[in-house]
Parts: sequence; structure tokens; C-alpha cells
Amino acid sequence: MSGMFTIVLPAVILIGGAFIVYLISMICDLNNRTESILAVLVLIGALFALINNFNEIPNLIPSSDAHFGNSEPGGVILMPSALSIFIMIVSIIITILITIYSGEYLARDSRYLVYYPLILIIQAGLFGMFLSNNLFNLFLLTELTTVAASALIAFRFDLEIAIKAGFKYLIMSSLGAMMMLLGIYFFYRSTGDMHLTQILESPDNLTRIAAACFLLGFSLKAGVFPLHTWVPDVYGNAPSAISGLLAGVFSKSMLFILPVICLRLGMTREELGAYLMIFACFNMLVGSVRMLGQSQLRRFLSFSSIAQTGYLMFGLGIGFYYDLDQAFSAGLFLFLVIAIMKSLAFLASGVYQFYLKTQDIEKLRGEGHHMPLIALCFSIALAGLAGIPLLAGFAGKWMIFSAALVTGDLFSIICLVIFLTSTVISLGGYLPVLIKQYFRSSNTVEVFNSPERPVSVSRWLLIPITLLSLLVVIIGVYPSPWINLVNYVIRWMLI
Amino acid sequence: MENHEWILSGIIVIPILGALVLLIWRKATKKQAATIGIISESFALAIPLVLLSVLRRNDQIVFSLPWIQNMGISFRLSLNWLCLIFLLTEVLVTLTAMIYSLGEETGEKNSNFYYALLLLFSLGMSGTTLADDAFLFYIFWELMLVASVLLILIWGYGETRFRVALKYFIVTHLGSLMVLVCLITLFVNFGTANISDWMMQANSLAINTQVLLIIFFIVGFSVKMAIFPLHIWLPDAHTVAPMPVTIILAAAMLSMGTYGILRFPFALFPLENLQPFAIWMMIAGLISEMYGALMALAEKDIKRIIAFSSVSQMGYIIFGLGSLTLRGMEGAIMHVVYHAIIKALLFMVVGIIVAVTSERDIQNISGLGFKYPILCVCAAIGVLGISGMPPLGIFNSEWMIFAGGFDSGVSIALTIIVLIGSLLTVIYALRFFGNIFFGDRKPESLPQKAPLALILPTLVITIFLIVEGLTPGPLLTWAMKGLTSFIGGLH
Repeated sequence: MSGMFTIVLPAVILIGGAFIVYLISMICDLNNRTESILAVLVLIGALFALINNFNEIPNLIPSSDAHFGNSEPGGVILMPSALSIFIMIVSIIITILITIYSGEYLARDSRYLVYYPLILIIQAGLFGMFLSNNLFNLFLLTELTTVAASALIAFRFDLEIAIKAGFKYLIMSSLGAMMMLLGIYFFYRSTGDMHLTQILESPDNLTRIAAACFLLGFSLKAGVFPLHTWVPDVYGNAPSAISGLLAGVFSKSMLFILPVICLRLGMTREELGAYLMIFACFNMLVGSVRMLGQSQLRRFLSFSSIAQTGYLMFGLGIGFYYDLDQAFSAGLFLFLVIAIMKSLAFLASGVYQFYLKTQDIEKLRGEGHHMPLIALCFSIALAGLAGIPLLAGFAGKWMIFSAALVTGDLFSIICLVIFLTSTVISLGGYLPVLIKQYFRSSNTVEVFNSPERPVSVSRWLLIPITLLSLLVVIIGVYPSPWINLVNYVIRWMLI
Repeated sequence: MENHEWILSGIIVIPILGALVLLIWRKATKKQAATIGIISESFALAIPLVLLSVLRRNDQIVFSLPWIQNMGISFRLSLNWLCLIFLLTEVLVTLTAMIYSLGEETGEKNSNFYYALLLLFSLGMSGTTLADDAFLFYIFWELMLVASVLLILIWGYGETRFRVALKYFIVTHLGSLMVLVCLITLFVNFGTANISDWMMQANSLAINTQVLLIIFFIVGFSVKMAIFPLHIWLPDAHTVAPMPVTIILAAAMLSMGTYGILRFPFALFPLENLQPFAIWMMIAGLISEMYGALMALAEKDIKRIIAFSSVSQMGYIIFGLGSLTLRGMEGAIMHVVYHAIIKALLFMVVGIIVAVTSERDIQNISGLGFKYPILCVCAAIGVLGISGMPPLGIFNSEWMIFAGGFDSGVSIALTIIVLIGSLLTVIYALRFFGNIFFGDRKPESLPQKAPLALILPTLVITIFLIVEGLTPGPLLTWAMKGLTSFIGGLH
């Protein structure tokens, strides 16, 4: 049993850590930075536990009794999978950087006390969602993360828009949760059970309805068209660090839980693949078109995030529709690089907001001179998202591309054309923003003049951003080991 | 690996090192930055010349390092006769532009960054010619674009450069994406990104796939070549870019499209599959030739006149390629080289005119001939050259192109029309020359002498043009060797 305990150790560390961080901070009256360091320590603990699990994958996965808990009705079953461990490692690493960043980013806020514990709880909830094999547990954990996330989105509750955003997220996510609850009802009525240890042998209509309910619920959480409308409001008004966390990791990882659940509920791979591919097209188009002409920085990034959800769905969709491992690799690799680039973009935009106190893209003009390093990192993020070669995004684009062409099928080619159109349209979105940083106004030539009022950016903000930018460049220049890693995970992925 | 293989990698590595040094050395003056830039670029020029003897023995030098092994991608460069021509042209043009920059104001501020970008721009082009791996090829292909966009954005003229750069980026990127589609299709079909390996297998593809690939490749590369109607990015980009960058854009970068067409659709697929497209390429060539020349006649801005003349000249090249004969293609390759030299010369002349008169409208400039005799002679040679006057280079290449057109048996009438159309070139060239250097109105308030730092490189290029035109022998041999080793079934 002790071996089984290691499976859930990361979640235990995270949940326990959340309370301990909260208690210690409250009792000792810690300041924001100290609390963020405490949270980072907890996250590092969880990361080590996860890496340990990752190394144990060859021993953990094949043994059928590798689960935690019991299978009695109402019992908890947690089963590890290579995919969940990998996604959690990515998520925790990004969260560590975001937490360090928050050490300075929250300097002007007073409610930091609950901030870090809530982040830890979200991570624990996400981990639980991946491991959970019981629909009801899944529902509870989804609600847990929803509540924690809405609290974080509405973190600056003296701002009306923040409250609105949090409320919107809460309502929309609850709607998703209601769908899941409905799904649980249908499933329970059909099978009299809530456990999902393997794929249903004889799916009937009820379980298929249940699958559809879960599909909708998770699509909503991931921001799939036409359920994407909450995305720009929420990411646009939440604190940047939280937007980075949600847009970069949290909502994208829903796309990896979705197939696991839906397939086990009896949806066929073709149906799931077709759904993902068709709606991927909508997401790509809507995201990239709406990205043009946005005047608010984070709203702009939110729409680009919708497009990226589409890219991910496209990769996974090909994987399911054509049963192609290569496409799963592409999807997972894309998840990795989007998580890095998206959180980088949100964090860098947060620095701008922190010092300029505005989100207006026009106000970015000339900031390349005042905050050269931040401008460079933001440019790397945008160029990476735009798929410029030698940055991480290009390797992902290449992989998706080859996966779509390997099938040689008309359906995937049509989607590929839409994918291409979307990347070109989004170029028209990324480039002007990138360039504006270096132009003081559209008329005057003042590029690279010596700065008049250089802003000294705090190291707490700089370090995470620089690290993420370096990762974008390193993965872009030498993607080999990362592709190997992703392929390794895909090999162990049992759906 | 043998020594000469390592030396080959220097063409890529040394400019990268130079660019890195420049990026770090922020306080470099323009002269210091230029020195580093010119030295690193000279290596890129010297290395292929040093390797010439090895190339004579082997016909190909390959440098290969493993890179992304799990996807069959390696860092693979290969020097052969075909890419030697394009490589030398591109490096020479860049060197000229770097030296020319010293005499004018571009890059006074942040010179280190300016020269680093010039190096990277050139690196993109040398990488494009040398790359023997599709992934690597595309990376260099895009590097070329990114570096040139940055150069236009930062040092370009006028308030419109933001919009112009964006248009340039997006239009040419569309072309690049078409190329990328083809590259990945081939990559997926053969499981390797090694271009040399593709050449053995490409014929095994289904005929429909081949046809689609040929169309996508030719259209994609034609965007870079600025063939009508895909030329829309060119006039603005060339006008807004600072003069040295315009020189590289017009003289060197346009030819990369030609290289792409030769390297991919022509080298990969058998000629009979290309045959259906011959007539279309020739027609596109004809329209480009006419359109470019007419626009050059209609324009008033002297920089735009020369820019449109590029559209016209690219028309000859695609016409020569479209003839699908050895002569036509040889002619096209030679035209690339001669056009590069003449276009560099003409833009340098325009740069000097703009520098002394601060004026770009052809109606406001006249009678410069008596004041600046050396400039006048250089311009005269350039103008005669572009009109195809023997013994200046373009005469040789146009001869070959038209011979190819008659050989091809596609349409003799078409060739005759193109031949007659070349008269238009003479008209716009003479209008350009006559208006500027002759005329009644004598300039008075102009400086006595044209700046020496600009005149000297112009003179050197002029002499080089005459020498090149008189001795087309080596170039012709290289082009023939390159073409016959790459493209089967040529006659």
C-alpha cells in the first residue's frame, strides 16, 4: 500500500501545503514575498513527488492493482497515468514560476494571504481530476477547482470588472458542472455505478448521453467554440498571473481529461476525433479573427488563447480520428510549448500593467526602450506563438502539420487549410503588437534612442519571465529531447 | 569528417559569431561595427572560393551533424555548383551593401544592431542556398524574412514603413507557407527531411501529388521572386527600405526564389511532369516583363522605377525557367547573377542621386551629367547593361533565355513577344538616364562632388560588371554543371 500512497503523495503535499502555508502566514503574519516562497517550497515538494512518480511509470502503469483507494460504491479510486503525471509536472513548473512572479506582482494587494493557498488547491484539484476514476469524485474536484479559480479571478474585489469576471467564470463553470452532474445521473441510471476503471463494454444510449454531457462540460471549461465567450472577459480582467495559469495550463489540460472520460463512457474514437477537429476549426478561426483589432492587451491574448485551444484540439482530433500516435505526440508537445509561451505572454503583459497601470495596447508604444528585457521576452512569446522558426512554436507547428499530412485524408487537409489560414491571420494580430513596443508613435523615428526614464523591473518579475523565454528558445533550437519526452509519455498513455 | 567539410560550416558559423559579437558590443561605432560585419562576411565569400578545388574533384561537399534525430532532421549543409553561384552572388551583394552603408547615413545609430541584422539577413540567404535539410532550409528561409523586415522597420524611410513592413511580411509569409506545405508533404512521405534523399524518391509519388506540389512550390517561390501578380509587396518594400537594404533585397533576395524553383520542383520531379506548367511560367514571365517595364515607365519616384524594373527582370528569369531547356535555365541563372550586379549598381546610383539632391521625383532632377561625370558613366553602364547591350552581362543571359524560348517548342510567338517587349526596358532605362543626367535645368545649389565613400564602391561594381560580362565562361560552366547534376533529362 505504501507504493500506492506515492501516487497520491503530490496531491497530499499540495492540499496539506495549502493549509500549512495559510496557517503559518496567518499566525506569523508573513509578508507577501515570504508567503510566496513558502508556496514555492510546497510546489517543489510536489514536483519531486511527481518526478518520482514519473520515473516509476514503467512499474506503476502496467500493474492492474496500481490504484489508491477502494472500489466500493462511493469509494475513491485514483489511478495514475503517464499523461496525468506529465501534465502535472508541466503545470507545477509553470505554477512555481507564477508563484515567484506573484511575490512582487501582488505587492500592492492586501489579500495575498489566501492567494497562494488557492493556487495550491487548484493544482491539487487538477491532479485529482486527472487521477480520479469515479465520476462523482471528478465532479467534486471540478467544483473545487472552479470555486478556487473564481476566487482568484475576482481576487481584486474592489474592482467591479474583476468581480464581474469572477462571477462570469463561476456561472459558466457551474453550468458545465451541471452538465456533468446530469451526465453522472444518466450513467448511474444505466450502470448503477460511478466507477470508470475501464472502457465500457456495452455502452447504451444513456451512457452515450452521459458522454455527451461530459463532453459539453469539459468543452466549456476548455473554452471550445461556441462555449468560449467567457474566455476574453475572464482572462482579460483576472490578475495576469492567474490568467497565465488558467490560459496556459489549466483550461488547456481540460482537453486531455475530456477524451479520457468520454471514451470510457462509450464514445467512439471517430466521433470524438471528428468533434475535436470540426470545433478546432471554429476555435482557430474565431480566435485569430477576433484577435485583430483588440485594444486591450490581455483580451488580445485571450483570443489568441482560443485559437491555441483550437490548435491543440486539432492535434488530438487527428490522433483520435485516424488513430495516429504521431498526432498525440504533436498535441502533447503543443500543450507543453503553449503552456510555456502563453504563461510567458500573460506574465510579461502583467509586468507592463504593473508599471504602466494600463492594459491599452497603444500605451505600449516605446516601452521597448524603458523595459528592454521585458519587451524582448514579450516579443519572444508573441513570435513563438506566431510560429516563427527557431522558437518553440515552430517545432509544434511542424509536428501538427506533418501529422495532418500523414493521414492524406481530405478532412484533415481541409482542417489543415483552416489551420494555416488561422496562423496567417494571427500573424496580423501578433506582429503589430510586437512592433508597437519599439515605436514611440506611428510617425516619429525614435527606435533605439537612449531611454529617458528606464524602469527598473523587479527581479521577482524578471526571473520567471527570463526563464520561460529561455525555455522557448531552447525548445525551439533543440526540440529533440522534448519530443523524446513527449513520445515516451504517449507510449505509456493508456486511454 | 574531413577538414573541408568543417571549413564549409564556416560559411554559417562565422557570420553567426560576427552577429553575436555585434549584438553584445553595444557601444561599437559605425566603423567598428562595419569592420566586424565586413570581416565575417568576407569569410563567407572566401570559404567557397577556397573550397573550389575540392568542389572540382567531388562536385559536392556535405557537412552533416545530427540534430532532431527522432524526426529525421539533421543539420546538413551541401555545397554544389548550383548553390555556389547563388551563394557567391548573395555574399558579394551583401558585402557591397555593407561597404556602401559606410558612406551614407543608414545605421548611424545602433550600428552594431544594424550590421548584425545585415549579417543575419545574409546568413539567411547563404543558409537557404546551402541547406540540404528541409527543416533547416525553412528556418533560414524565414530568418531571411525576419531580418529584412526588422531592417525595414527600424531604418526604413517615412511614416508608412510600419504598414509596408507588415504587408511585406504577411504576403511573403503566405508564399513561405505554401513552400512549407510542400516541404512537409515530402517530409511526411519519405520520412526524412534530407533533400538529397528526396531526389531519388520523388518520382515515386502519385502523379496528382506531384502536380499539386509543383504548383505550390512554383507559386510559393514566385512570391519571393515578385512575379506578377504576386509582386504587390515589392515596390513598397523596396521604396521604404534604406538604400543598402534595398540593394540586398533587389539584387540578392529575389534570386532566392529562383534558387528555390530550381532546387525543389525542377530538381525533384521529372521534366515531363513539369511540361504542362511551362507555358504558364512563360506567360507569367511575359506579363511580369511587360507590367514591370510599363510601371517603371509610369513611375516618377526614381527608387520605384528601379524597383519595378526588378519585377520586369524577374519576368525574364521565370520565362527562362519555363522554357524547361538547358539553355533557358542556364540563361535564367546567369540572368540572376547579372541582374544582381546591375540592380546593385543602379540602386547605388539612385542612392547617390538621392544623397546629393535630396530629391526622388524624376521630374525635379535633371542635368546631373555634367556635374558628376563619374556617376554619369556608372549610371550609363548600368542603364546600358539592363537594356541588354553587349558586352554587358544581361546581353549574354537574355540571349540564352530567348534561345531557350525558341528551343522549347512551346510557343515561338510568345518568345517573339517577350523579345520585342524587351524594347520597353530600353525605353524606361533611357528615360531614367536621360531625365536625370541630361536636360535643360542645370542644378545650382548642389554639392560640388558626390561623396567618395559612395562613388568608390559604385565604381568597383561597374568595373566588375564589365569584367563579368566579358568573361561569362566560368559562370556558364558552373551553371551547366549545376543544372545537369540536379536536373535529369535536360538537352
